[in-house]
Amino acid sequence: MFVLSIIKDTVAVHPQHFALPPEQAITNELNKKYANRVLHDVGLCICVFDISEAGEGKIRYGDGFLWYKVVFRLVVFRPFASEVILAKVKSSDEDGIRLSMGFFDDIYVPLMWLPEPSAFDPNERAYFWLPGSEAKTAHELLDSPTSERMYIDTGEIVRVRVEADEFYDDEPGPPKATEGVQQVQLENRRPPYTITNKVWVLCHGGKMRVSRPWTRDSEAMQLRFESYSCLL
Amino acid sequence: MEVVNQRSALLSNYEVLTLLKELESDHLARTRTALRIKKEEEAAGLPRNHVPQEEVLENLRTIEVEAIQYLSADHQPSLKQTDASISQLTRSLSRFDLTKAEKLQIVNLAPTEAVELYVIVEELEDRLGDHMQDILSTVRASLIEAVSSAEPTHAPAEVGFYQEPVQAVYQEAETWEYDANEIVFEDNGEGAGVEGDLDIDED
Repeated sequence: MFVLSIIKDTVAVHPQHFALPPEQAITNELNKKYANRVLHDVGLCICVFDISEAGEGKIRYGDGFLWYKVVFRLVVFRPFASEVILAKVKSSDEDGIRLSMGFFDDIYVPLMWLPEPSAFDPNERAYFWLPGSEAKTAHELLDSPTSERMYIDTGEIVRVRVEADEFYDDEPGPPKATEGVQQVQLENRRPPYTITNKVWVLCHGGKMRVSRPWTRDSEAMQLRFESYSCLL
Repeated sequence: MEVVNQRSALLSNYEVLTLLKELESDHLARTRTALRIKKEEEAAGLPRNHVPQEEVLENLRTIEVEAIQYLSADHQPSLKQTDASISQLTRSLSRFDLTKAEKLQIVNLAPTEAVELYVIVEELEDRLGDHMQDILSTVRASLIEAVSSAEPTHAPAEVGFYQEPVQAVYQEAETWEYDANEIVFEDNGEGAGVEGDLDIDED
């Protein structure tokens, strides 16, 4: 889930931080620049792990900053493909489920990767799964008695497998002007880093609204597992 | 900026949690000393001399707090793990024919049920067959709870080992609330004015 990335960069330390030991000052600057940001094709940066190399601080003409050339290691959130992670259901809609890990929210489960057969219940705004059911279409599934459905409620913890991740560079590009007036673009901003998942085994969640509770009882688990292997 | 190596090493959740907790306690210690010095100076009626205050890195604090919350939630095994138990677990996992990624996930998720293991290891039955239960019991043994419940009348050293992390977690929870208060205090304090002055100087 987390990796170490080696990155080379030049940082400037403001004179107000000269009192600090240089290592601390550099780490602070790097954390200020990288922490909680998505680096393109690298991942979501968490914090500096350590500094491997740092040159001597140099002062350039024009400002009082000390400029350091640094090679450092960064803790980055970047789950590899097919890694299994635990995440919380943030919301569900007709397109799929959105998951959250607290520090990272752009995790999506598209409809096609939900365990089959499952359908979206518009009344509950949640997906449910009917293990062992013969029904194929969403209509047939929605006719089933509510007590048999296994709902994937908001706030529940699910175990998902990472299928793909994608980076999107949201650079605005040059400003567009029509008739000499600058246009403000009102398009949707896409998240810079998204992860697409497959729901695998739904595990020990909070509240379960099914008559046959998803306990950790091995028999029930086995049953669930069998229906998964059918899917495979 | 130049990315030298995107993925030079993989980290386990526990390692990241330890690192973040260290950062957090460093931060707490610093704010507490800063506050104490300030109070002492005020009490002594000394004129405020300009001690350079370390700024609070907001983005770092955000990710730190959120990641700690995620990694130490109830559904994560990290609370039941210790440095020793993880190194023991990885050593005993080397007996089995597992890939590096699978081992990492076993450490991260600590599967104690067969289903949980099926998800992590591909073609589990063909590759491991009878060893599956061995892996599960190894993992169970590495979790502190399992140790204490299985053998409650163990050597006292073992018991001490069990209690230590629990206490540490409790302290962490307590200091956390202090932290929230302290940040509020800092924001309303004179620091804001000082920053404003500096801005003007720069212009």
